[in-house]
Amino acid sequence: MSNGIQIHGLTKAYERGGQRLVVLDELELEIAPGERAALMGPSGSGKSTLLNLIGGLDRADAGQLVVAGERVDQLDGAELAAWRAETIGFVFQGFNLIPVLTALENVMLPLLLTPLSRKLRREHALRALDLVGLTDRKSHRPSELSGGQEQRVAIARAIVTDPQVILADEPTGDLDRASADAVLALLVKLNEELHKTVLMVTHDPLAAESARRIVHMDKGQLAREEARS
Amino acid sequence: MPLRLVAKNLFAHRLRALLTIASFAVAIFLLCVLRALVVSLDAGVRNATSNRLVVQSAVSLFVSLPESYLGKLHQVDGVEEVARVQWFGGFYQEPGNFFGQFGVDPDQFLRIFPEIRLVPDSPADALERFHSERRACLVGRKTAEKFGFKVGDTIPIIGTIFQRTDGEPWEFEVVGIYELESMVWDETTLFFPFEYLSETLDAGAATGPKGSGIFYLQLDGSIPPVSVAAATDALFENGPQRVQTTSEAEFNAQFVSMIGNVPFFVTTIGGGVLAAIVLAVLNTMLLSGREQTHTIGVLKALGFSDGTVFGVMLGQAMLLTLVGGGAGIALAIASGPGFQAFLGTMFPGYEITDGILGQAALLSVAVGLAAGLLPAWRARSMQAVEALRRVH
Repeated sequence: MSNGIQIHGLTKAYERGGQRLVVLDELELEIAPGERAALMGPSGSGKSTLLNLIGGLDRADAGQLVVAGERVDQLDGAELAAWRAETIGFVFQGFNLIPVLTALENVMLPLLLTPLSRKLRREHALRALDLVGLTDRKSHRPSELSGGQEQRVAIARAIVTDPQVILADEPTGDLDRASADAVLALLVKLNEELHKTVLMVTHDPLAAESARRIVHMDKGQLAREEARS
Repeated sequence: MPLRLVAKNLFAHRLRALLTIASFAVAIFLLCVLRALVVSLDAGVRNATSNRLVVQSAVSLFVSLPESYLGKLHQVDGVEEVARVQWFGGFYQEPGNFFGQFGVDPDQFLRIFPEIRLVPDSPADALERFHSERRACLVGRKTAEKFGFKVGDTIPIIGTIFQRTDGEPWEFEVVGIYELESMVWDETTLFFPFEYLSETLDAGAATGPKGSGIFYLQLDGSIPPVSVAAATDALFENGPQRVQTTSEAEFNAQFVSMIGNVPFFVTTIGGGVLAAIVLAVLNTMLLSGREQTHTIGVLKALGFSDGTVFGVMLGQAMLLTLVGGGAGIALAIASGPGFQAFLGTMFPGYEITDGILGQAALLSVAVGLAAGLLPAWRARSMQAVEALRRVH
């Protein structure tokens, strides 16, 4: 099954103060399987909305959206949740770890939606933590970790179910340069070694440089693209 | 892990969770105690049978009826047995040691009340002695336990209504200890032969009103109780004292109402306690739900279904009320003997029954549902994007 993303005529609008605000305007875009792309653009250009639609967190008003071979726009709520659990790994700007759980428990959380035994869930989670270099922090709560470590735990959580697509929304936005570089290096590793399709929204030019392709958006439409070697 | 997540989220604010659990435990404990009080007051009414009637003075319960009515009552159609019962109203050693004492016709009374039975291992001649010896008495199990009375002991009772002219206390010898199959009386009361009181008064060795406070009638079932009651009232319509005949249940209810509408009062307090605690738990859960908006968004983004998120929130309310309710129930059970000793005089039937415990458990579940449904529904309905956006 392809783990690419195909978008045709995707439209999304919000009602604000009685007015219709078009955020995505018949967008056309294709992300190839195994691609590592960055979405850039000014605030309000629709980057995060697009990411949410691709990840099934929000619904489009019109258009077609195919992610990893699935017509996401045609799934109902329960199907969308199940599909999301299986296909998508999210990395958020604010890490979004659950504060009352340890690093290991946070990483194990998505595995609850799988038929794995507790023992296997633990093994998988430890492997993911090892991949991000945080095995020794497994018993720490998010409040006991640095920002960079929290984001690495979030990446471990994103990949623990072996999803085909990694969606990262400003993954380095809250990090210092050194931590940001470590997170970006991880995303590159996931793409190059594990062949995950990585789509990252970012304002950070240095982060965007880690992508092979940079997609610029403006006013809900594709403005221009840059291919990088 | 969902259960672990439920528990960890609930105890994220440990002090708040523990205080809410403690307040819910206290509320459930109070409700158990209040319910036990109401049940003890109503026991006589609930356990009354339809084949027993009570004849009392139409003027007042405190006016005795002539003993001569005994024979006339036997003549009423449908009446199988008649027993005189006289309230004695004394105390043991000091006024604080109060328990009920009644002079009764031993044979007839025990036939009318088969629910009264001797405790196991009672002497074989206990009933025979109760029937034949003037100073014999049967003591309720609870009073015997409280004061350490045993068969063969002599109990001195200082009369208040009936006082001996020699200034000495009345003396009753314990010939047996009884318990009840159902709470038609209570297990604190002492019964002694009516004739002992009657003969002592006739001999001038004691002062007090002569006659019988009430008569208990047992019916043979051939005539409806209402007709027997009407015929009894009609029999004495021209005196010397008019009577009022009621069912045993009505009589017991009237007795309870003499100390005010306590059941209503107690139930109202219980209702207030319940309403307050529902609001307190709901407030805690709404606050908790709002604080967990971030967690809700994350769970949904990870692929957890709306139903699971609903369960995580509802589970927290249920966990809170079940732990609190369990603690309250345990407290009610543990304090039962102490309360029985403390309230035994006023509420002799006080007991935390299985029924009360069941009601408390059901109530804990119901409050958990009531307090958890709204925040759970809110969490279920919330979009992941919306939940995540509210935080950042």
